[in-house]
Amino acid sequence: MTAFSRFPLVLLAFGAASLATAASAARYHHVQIVAASPSEAVRWYERHMHCRPLADRNDSADCDGVGLIFVAQPTLGSTQGTGVNHIAFSYADLQAKMAELEAVGVRGSGVRLQRFEDGSTWRDVPGLFKHGFIFDPWGTRIEVVEDPENLGFHHVHLSAADPEATLSWYRDAFDGRPAKLKGLDEAVRFGDVWLLASQHPDGEPAPTRSRAIAHIAFEVADIERTVRDMLGSGVNFQGEPGTPANGRTHARRTFAAGPDNVTVALVEPGYAGVEAVANEGPESMAVEDYAAPRTPWGEPDLQGVWTGNAAHGIPLERPAGLADVEALTPEQAAARRERGTLGSIWGYEREWRDTTLGYDKMAPSTQVAMIVDPPDGRLPPLTPEGERMTAAARQERERRAKQPPAGPEELTPYVRCITKGLPGMMMPGIYNNGLQIVQGPGYVAIQKEMIHETRAIPTAPRAPAGPKLTSWLGDSQGRWEGDTLVVESQGFNGKSSFRGTSAAMRLTERFTRVGPTKLAYEFTVDDPAVWVRPWTAVFTFDLDDDQYELVEYACHEGNYGMFNILSGARAKDREAAAGTR
Amino acid sequence: MTTRRVTTRPTRRPRCETLTRRASRIAYVTLAFAMAPLLPVPGQDGTIPRAFDGHPDLNGIWQAIGTAHWNLEDHSAAPGHPDLGAIGAIPPGQGVVVGGEIPYLDAARAQRERNFENRMADDPEAKCFLPGVPRATYLPYPFQIIQGGRKIMLVYGFAAANRTIHMDKRNPEPPPLDSWMGRSHGRWEGDTLVVDAEGFNGQAWFDRAGNFASSGLRVEERYTPLDKNAVLYEATMTDPAVFSKPWKIRLPLYRRLEENARVLEFKCVEFAEDLMYGHLRRNPTR
Repeated sequence: MTAFSRFPLVLLAFGAASLATAASAARYHHVQIVAASPSEAVRWYERHMHCRPLADRNDSADCDGVGLIFVAQPTLGSTQGTGVNHIAFSYADLQAKMAELEAVGVRGSGVRLQRFEDGSTWRDVPGLFKHGFIFDPWGTRIEVVEDPENLGFHHVHLSAADPEATLSWYRDAFDGRPAKLKGLDEAVRFGDVWLLASQHPDGEPAPTRSRAIAHIAFEVADIERTVRDMLGSGVNFQGEPGTPANGRTHARRTFAAGPDNVTVALVEPGYAGVEAVANEGPESMAVEDYAAPRTPWGEPDLQGVWTGNAAHGIPLERPAGLADVEALTPEQAAARRERGTLGSIWGYEREWRDTTLGYDKMAPSTQVAMIVDPPDGRLPPLTPEGERMTAAARQERERRAKQPPAGPEELTPYVRCITKGLPGMMMPGIYNNGLQIVQGPGYVAIQKEMIHETRAIPTAPRAPAGPKLTSWLGDSQGRWEGDTLVVESQGFNGKSSFRGTSAAMRLTERFTRVGPTKLAYEFTVDDPAVWVRPWTAVFTFDLDDDQYELVEYACHEGNYGMFNILSGARAKDREAAAGTR
Repeated sequence: MTTRRVTTRPTRRPRCETLTRRASRIAYVTLAFAMAPLLPVPGQDGTIPRAFDGHPDLNGIWQAIGTAHWNLEDHSAAPGHPDLGAIGAIPPGQGVVVGGEIPYLDAARAQRERNFENRMADDPEAKCFLPGVPRATYLPYPFQIIQGGRKIMLVYGFAAANRTIHMDKRNPEPPPLDSWMGRSHGRWEGDTLVVDAEGFNGQAWFDRAGNFASSGLRVEERYTPLDKNAVLYEATMTDPAVFSKPWKIRLPLYRRLEENARVLEFKCVEFAEDLMYGHLRRNPTR
């Protein structure tokens, strides 16, 4: 669960003209953007940002001399909260541009506008320029500005703990030019484009690696010399400058740990005229021994908005025929989820799911099955009591399938909008997979969007609720084991069941942050009334702290389905009565 | 069916500090109210627990005591559902509205009376609907405040209601959807947690007496610790479609001091099903 998939490294140079400029000040080489579909991303930036697709590549675009390189990578999260807040493009008529973008809509690979508080899509900043903000479909925040003197790719905007120091770092490292941008004193210019920095709102920015903008790259004339200079200034590098082993280019690159946890690539282009590619190159930035950040009061910090979208489609039990398969291929995983979604999503539009719900941003998990213990990935054998309960439940289901429900009690707690129970409420589904975690000293609140359930879990010992006090979600007690939040729950009312669980279930859940954007969720069901041994399953939530906001899933309040199901049932009763008469 | 409401609220913290440094900030105008001398002045004697960041620490389990959930205004004892005897009767209570009465527009006052007449069928609480703001605060059940830094979560037992108070103002867009509980942004003013809540769907009531507002409701809540075990709760309701002027409630919240105090799950849907669907049973109960 902890292994970060290695993301392919892609380098690119933009033709001979750009290579000759290296002698003087450095320029941006590229910005690496993570997108589920690089080819779709190229089309998006061509259509909406007027970048130029490269003739011979389907994963890169040239935006006025600055490259955008898109990589498909399963681990995603927007730029928000990282040291690279956004990139900016300039247009001559902002109002018209924003109107054009607004007209696109969010459907398909659309455009998401970030409105200002008064609902407007743009505003005029006195002394600067008009500006507005949008998101690409993969989580990159884009500022759109009206700066007629500098059209096209305009700037990269950093979010820094100390903006002045950060700008100095880039200026010194890459020979940037101090420059004024309109009324802004603090700016650095590289070639035709700017580097700006703002105060990060709180503490240290999150690392850029595996986020929507994974790194920014500068072109340097002599990578050895630049690295030597930077090493002398105390900059850390990941790996020696080199050419990826299976690269199709002679360009050399290395990665520096920039200020504010920003990964900065240095690129020394090879010779002119060669398209510079290094598909599936070695990745030196895989996250190892990730240590979860701490809350200001010293507990592991799991806070944020996570989604289970990528995990949707993973079956609980390992399917027959996949006994020896370690992982699905990405294509198999995509097909699996598509089958699962279409099989259960009734008439919902695919575009709605992909854009509104963000499925399109998340490459589906390649995990074969959730159960990891027993090792065969299957539920353990039932006890005799478990056999009896399972048979009774099956009989009841069959009866209900034949006979219209007599009343609400014959429908499932989920259909009745009561609860999905535990661990059911944690499981990913076809939509509304948001999971928000908020912490206070000694408590962790875990809120699941579906169906607006919130668990307030104490991490300091507390006497359990008495045996007469049972509930749908039971009584939970948490504790920290290293970076892991362990939650034990019991005291269930037995009115909801997950794959046969009974009121006797003891549930142990383990939440572990295994990377900046990965939250591993492991749960062990110990229900001796039903199974001869406990079983354990795992899946992963992904951070989507910026774009995703949990909506209020007011399920019961709008449960017209209940009226329709029950009035339909009564109509069937009447039909049946008429038939027997 | 929702429409995006364009508010004229002034800009909060800019998204892009550098670029907007020169943008003029519009002063936030708050309405002044006559202060009724009802409750003690917040304590400054060091008895208020402090969080890591120096702000008051509101973490804990809190509950209102009184009859605000029956009626925000003064109300005499009155009969309830006859089947329940005295258990169902409406207890007398002193109002929590500063100034005594809710300043309804005439048409809205008539609606409040109709709401009361039809309360057994129409009160969202009877149907186990999400309670809205500020009603969730003074329902006769405890709620828990989980206060970190960037977010504060309020966890209510009734109907599994919850609210996230965004202290970081990271998403200053207007609420994308109207909802029962609205969207809440918070800030500290001295020792007072001030929460602006809006984006409501206009279906929630304020109490069992049928007091209500429209979807244009904006609520400014103020949570001011009085000492370690009491918080002064104030909420100002602004809704020109329903009220002739903003009005305010004020009541204390008390910390639940029981050693094992917890917010118990009250998933009340199943207890409202007969009320809502009884006529659709095979053997109708209603």
